[in-house]
Amino acid sequence: MRARTRRFPWASPYWPDGVERQAPERNLGVDYDSDWSRRYPARLVRAVLLDNVTRPLAHVVASPEVRGAEMLELVTAPVIFVANHASHVDTGLLLSVLPRRFRHRAVVAAAADYFFDRRWKAHLWALGLGAIPIERHKVNRRSADTAAGLLEEGWNLIIFPEGGRSPDGWFQEFRGGAAYLARRTGRPVVPVHMEGTRRILGKDRGLLRRQPTRITFGTPLSPVEGEDARRFGARIETTIATMADEGRSDWWAARRRAAAGTTPSPRGPDAAAWRRAWALGPDPRDADTVDEGRWAVSDL
Amino acid sequence: MSPRPGFVLEVDRSTPSTLFWHGEGLRLERLPVGSRVLYAPEPLDPLEDPVTAIREALLHPLGDAEPLPALLRAGMKLTIAFDDVSLPLPPMRRPDARQLVIEQVLDLAAEAGVDDVVLICALALHRRLTEAELRHCVGDRIYDAFEPQGLLQQHDAEDPGNLIHLGLTDHGEDVEINKRAATSDLLVYVNVNLVAMDGGHKSVATGLASYRSLRHHHNARTMQQSKSFMDQHKSELHTSNWRMGRLIADSGVKVFQIETTLNTDTFPPQMRFLERREWEWSARDRAGYIATSATLARTPDRLARQVLHSVRSPYRLTSVQAGEVEAVHAQTTENVYRQQLVAVEGQTDILTLGLPYICPYNVNSIMNPILVACLGLGYFFNMYKGRPLVRQGGVVIMSHPTPWAFHPGHHPSYIDFFEQVLAETTDPLEVGKYEEAYATDPWYVHLYRTGHAYHGVHPFYMWYWCAHALEHLGAVIIVGGDRAAVRRLGFTPASTMADALELASDVVGRDPSLTHLHSPPLIMADVS
Amino acid sequence: MKALLVERSLPRFAAARLVSSVGGSGTSAGIGPLRLTDVEAPALPGPGWQRVRPVLAGICGSDLATLDGRSSRYFEDIVSFPFVPGHEVVGVVEDAATGPAGAPVPGTLAPGTRVVVEPVLGCIPRGIEPPCEACADGRVGGCERVAFGHLAPGLQIGFCADTGGGWSQAGLVAHAVQLHPVPEALSDDDAVMIEPTACAVHAALAAQVEPGDMVAVLGGGTVGLTTTAALRQLATPGALLVGARYGHQRDLAGELGADLAVSPEQLTRAVRRRSRSFESSGHLSGGADIVVDCVGSADSLSQCLAMVRPRGRVVVVGMPAKTTLDLASLWHREVSMVGAYAYGSERTGTARRRTFAIAMEVVAAARLGRLVSARYPLERFEEAVAHAGSAGRRGAVKIVFEMHHRSPKGSAS
Repeated sequence: MRARTRRFPWASPYWPDGVERQAPERNLGVDYDSDWSRRYPARLVRAVLLDNVTRPLAHVVASPEVRGAEMLELVTAPVIFVANHASHVDTGLLLSVLPRRFRHRAVVAAAADYFFDRRWKAHLWALGLGAIPIERHKVNRRSADTAAGLLEEGWNLIIFPEGGRSPDGWFQEFRGGAAYLARRTGRPVVPVHMEGTRRILGKDRGLLRRQPTRITFGTPLSPVEGEDARRFGARIETTIATMADEGRSDWWAARRRAAAGTTPSPRGPDAAAWRRAWALGPDPRDADTVDEGRWAVSDL
Repeated sequence: MSPRPGFVLEVDRSTPSTLFWHGEGLRLERLPVGSRVLYAPEPLDPLEDPVTAIREALLHPLGDAEPLPALLRAGMKLTIAFDDVSLPLPPMRRPDARQLVIEQVLDLAAEAGVDDVVLICALALHRRLTEAELRHCVGDRIYDAFEPQGLLQQHDAEDPGNLIHLGLTDHGEDVEINKRAATSDLLVYVNVNLVAMDGGHKSVATGLASYRSLRHHHNARTMQQSKSFMDQHKSELHTSNWRMGRLIADSGVKVFQIETTLNTDTFPPQMRFLERREWEWSARDRAGYIATSATLARTPDRLARQVLHSVRSPYRLTSVQAGEVEAVHAQTTENVYRQQLVAVEGQTDILTLGLPYICPYNVNSIMNPILVACLGLGYFFNMYKGRPLVRQGGVVIMSHPTPWAFHPGHHPSYIDFFEQVLAETTDPLEVGKYEEAYATDPWYVHLYRTGHAYHGVHPFYMWYWCAHALEHLGAVIIVGGDRAAVRRLGFTPASTMADALELASDVVGRDPSLTHLHSPPLIMADVS
Repeated sequence: MKALLVERSLPRFAAARLVSSVGGSGTSAGIGPLRLTDVEAPALPGPGWQRVRPVLAGICGSDLATLDGRSSRYFEDIVSFPFVPGHEVVGVVEDAATGPAGAPVPGTLAPGTRVVVEPVLGCIPRGIEPPCEACADGRVGGCERVAFGHLAPGLQIGFCADTGGGWSQAGLVAHAVQLHPVPEALSDDDAVMIEPTACAVHAALAAQVEPGDMVAVLGGGTVGLTTTAALRQLATPGALLVGARYGHQRDLAGELGADLAVSPEQLTRAVRRRSRSFESSGHLSGGADIVVDCVGSADSLSQCLAMVRPRGRVVVVGMPAKTTLDLASLWHREVSMVGAYAYGSERTGTARRRTFAIAMEVVAAARLGRLVSARYPLERFEEAVAHAGSAGRRGAVKIVFEMHHRSPKGSAS
C-alpha cells in the first residue's frame, strides 16, 4: 500500500526558491498572547471542562479534604491565591476545590519556559487552565504588567511562589512576585497549603497514584503600612509554613510554636539529601500498608 | 497455649496420608507402616514489640562493642549492608525485618548528623534485585530517600574499582571485599537468620566478597568436608568464613552486626494446613487442601508460579541481637536451633522429601532442575546436627516435577551448565574443570553486572552444594519429575512413590527404614 | 517396463501441496502428480549416449519438494514433462556407445560396467558447440544451457522428458561423459551415496574453511551428514559443531567427525559458549566463522545468520524456496551468504579434479553407505516417498528404490 502524499491545496504549500521568506513569528513563552482564552467562548469551554471533567477526576484521584473554606467568605474577588507547589496536579486540584465565583474567573501563572514553549502546549494550558505565562528565572516586566492588568480587570490569580515543584518534599525559597503584585494592585493574598500532592505525582516520580490530600485556606493577608515586598513575601511564607505545621500536629500547638518562633523550617534541615528525605518523617498513612496481598482474610 | 516442640511420629495403620510439597503443587502420600515422620516445633511466640526490642538491642550490644549511638558521629562514613532477597522464604509481609532495623539505625544516624551514608545489598554472586524487591526489603521510605541519589547500591563483585584485597588468611585464602564497605568508618550489617548457616562472619566475608575470595570455600572439596554446613562445629565452610571474618576485623574494618531470627509462621491463614499435623486438620483445612491442590494441578505453570510467588509469610521476629559478630552469632544460632531442632534417634535407610516451589535462588523465578537438586541434596539433606539423617549408602527420594525449564534472564549460565557440563559428567569434583570458563565468560559477567542474572559460576556452586550428599548416598530418586531432566541430573526418575520405594529397595535392601521430613516449616534434625 | 512418472497436472500439484502441508512431507504421493506406469525405454538421443539399467536410485529432498508441490517456480522452465524422477543412480551399462556410423566410440565404458550417473545435462550431453563458459571450465553445475540443445529442457537426468530417470526398470540414457565407473571396493549402498556426497563435497569446498575455523552445520538429514563428513575429510576446521534434531542423526554426525552434535535449539548457545561472545537481539557478537545450512527453511536460515560471526560466511546447501528473511543482520555485520549447488570439478591446490572423483574417496573413507536406511521396490512408491518425507522422525536417513537383483559385484550391504 503506498502512502498518498497530499498536495497543495490539501497540504500547506512550499515556498518558491526565489522568494525571500522571513522567519515566522513565534509568539511563544512570555510573548504568548492568551487574551483569546479569556473571551466568552473559551471561558465557556473551560468552565464546562473544569466542572465536568477536572473536578470529578480530582475528587477521585485526590479525595481532597478542604479546611478553612470559610476564610474565603472574608474576601471579595479578585484575590491572589498563593500556594506551595509539589506536583503537576496542584493547579487542577486547587481550581477544583475553589468556589464557583473564584473558579470560573481565575488565571494561573505558569512557567513560560515549561508550559508555553510549544504552540500546542500554549494553546492547551491557556484554554484548559486559564494559564498565563510568567517568567520564573528572571524578573520580566511584561509578565508582571500582564498579571497586574488582569487583576485590575477582576481576574483572580493563582501563583506558586516557589517557582517550580519541590524536588524533595520541602519548600523552596518563595520568590517575590506575589508580594509585589499584592502591593502594586492592593488586592489581598489568600495563603493556601496543599498537602499530599507529591505522593500523587511528584517531581521525577513517574506514575500517578491515588492518594488523599488536604487543602487548607488561611486568613487573607494584606501588606501593612511600610512593609516592602520582600518582608511581605517572607510573611506569606511563614504563614504557609505554620499552616503546614498545623496539618502535621494541631492548630493550637502550631500557634504556640509560631509565637515562640520555633515553627520547624519548611525548607528542611541543612544536611545531606538522605537526611532531608528522612526528616520528612514516616507517612502516617503508611502504617496501613502491611502486606496482606491477595490472601487477606480475617484471622478467625 | 505455648508452642509445642517438634516430635517424631511413627506411622501406623491409622495414620492419615502425609502431605508432600510437589513443586507448584501438593500431594498426599501414604508412607509405609513403621516410617518415621519428623514434625517441626510449632512457631515460637514472637516479640511483642519488635521496634522497642530492636532499639534495646542497639543500645545494649553483645560482646566487645559499644552501643550504636556512641559509634555514630557527624562527618563519618557509614555503610549499612543487608541480606538480599534470597531470605526469608517465602518473602515476609511488610514491614520486613530489615526495614524495621535499618529505619532505627538511620534514626540514630540522623540524630548524630551523619551525612555520608550508603546502603549496600550484600548479594555476593547472586542476582541484582528489582525495584519492587528492594522496596519490599527496605521499605518505601528508605528506598525513596536513598535510591534517587544512587546511595542504595547492590554489591557488584565484578567491579574492579569497588573491590579491595585485604590479604590472605593463614590458609592462603584471598579476602577481597567491597571497597566502600571496607573503607567505611563503620559497617553495620543487617541480617535475617533463617537457617544456621547464615550470619556471623559469613555475612560480610561471603555477602560482600568477590569470586576470587569465594572460590576458596565455595568448592566441592570444602562442601564434602562440611558435614553438615548447618552445623558450625563440623563445617569447613563455616571455618573458612570465620578465618576470613577475623582477617577482615583485624584489617581494621569495624563491623556492627545486627542479627534477627524469625518464627516459622510460614503461610497465611488460608494455607495453614500446610504446617499443621494432618490428623489435626479441621474441616476447613481439608477443604483448603482439596481446593488448593486441585486448582494448582489445573493451572498452567506460569500462572501457578505467579500466584505462589506472591504469597507473603506472616513471619514475626523472635529475637534480635546486635554488637560484636561472634557474640551475636552465638546467641542467634541458639535461637535458630530453639525454633527448628527436632531430636531423632538413629539414622534411616531412605529419606523422603517434598520439595516446594521456592528455594533461595529462584525467588520470583523458575525452579530449574539444578536448583531442585540443590534444594533437596544441598539444603534439606544437610539440615541436621550430629549425623546425617540417612545412612551412608542410603537413598533420598524427592518429590518435584523437575521441569526442563529455565529462566533465561535470571539463570542464563544454568542453561549452558545443564546442556554442556552435566551432559558430560555429574561428579562435583569433575565439573570443576569448566568452572574457570564460566566464571570468566564476559557475557555472563555482563548479564550479572547490568541485568538480573546470577553470576556465570553460580550453577557450579549449586552443584557443589550437593557434593556431600552425592558422596554419602547410594541413590537419588525423583518422583513425578521430567524423565529427561532427572536423567541429565544423574538421578533416577520414578512416576509414583510406590515405584520409587521399589527402586530404592534395589539399593538398600528389602524392608528398609524410612524417614520423612515434614516441611513446611523449616526443620532441622538432631540425630543421635 | 514399470517406471514412476511425473506428469504436468496443475490440479494434482495443487492437491499435493495441500495434502503435504497438512500431513507432512511425502504424504501426498498417492494423490500427487506421480504415478506408476508402463514406459518404453527412452531412445538414444545421439552418438556418445549409452543406456543404463538402474540398480539403486535414491529419493532426494528436491524430489520430495517436487512431489509435494513445494518447489520454487524458478525451476519451471528447466524441467520438461512428463519425466521420470531419480537422479541419484547406481546402475549397469547395457550397451556400448556407438558413433555415427554404428562403430563403438573409443574410451567409453563397456556393457556390464557398474556406474554411477552424474545427472547434470550440460552443454556436452546437449550437443551444444561451443560449450558455455561454465561447461568449458568443467563446472557443469553452472551450465546456462540446460533448456536448450537437442534435448528437451531439464537441468538433470531425472527432470528431463527425453532421458528417463532412476526410478524406472526401463532404464535411462546418459552421455558417456556423465558415467563414472564405481570401484570394486564400494558396495551398491556406497555407490548410491556418491551423487549426494558430490553435492556435499562441492559445498564443503565452497565454504573455504581456513584451518582452525569454527564451522557450524545446521541440519542432520542426508545433506547435513554428508556435508559433515566432507568437511571433516577435506578441510581442517578447528571445531565442527552440528545441529540435528534427532538422536540417531546426532550419533551419526559424531561418528562422521563432528566435535559436538546437539539439537538445533542448543546449537546457537553452543556456538556462543565456544566463541565466548555476547548476545544482542538474538545475534551473537562473535560466532562461527562458517555456518552451513543443510535445511533450507526460513527458520534455519535465520538461525544461521544469528550464529555466524561478523564478516563470516553462510553457505546455503539445502534447497530453499521462496523465503522471507530479516536481512538487517546480514547487512550490518557484513556477512556473506553463498549458494552451493551440485558439482562439476573442483580446484584443489593447482590440480583440477572432478567432484565425483573426490566424492568417491570421501564415501569410501567415511563409509557413507551406512546412511542408506531402507530399500523399496517401485510398486511400493507411496510408502517409500512417505518414509523419505519423515525419515528423521523414523530414525532413517536415505531411502532408495531397488530395481533388479543386485549384480554379484555389489552385494555387500
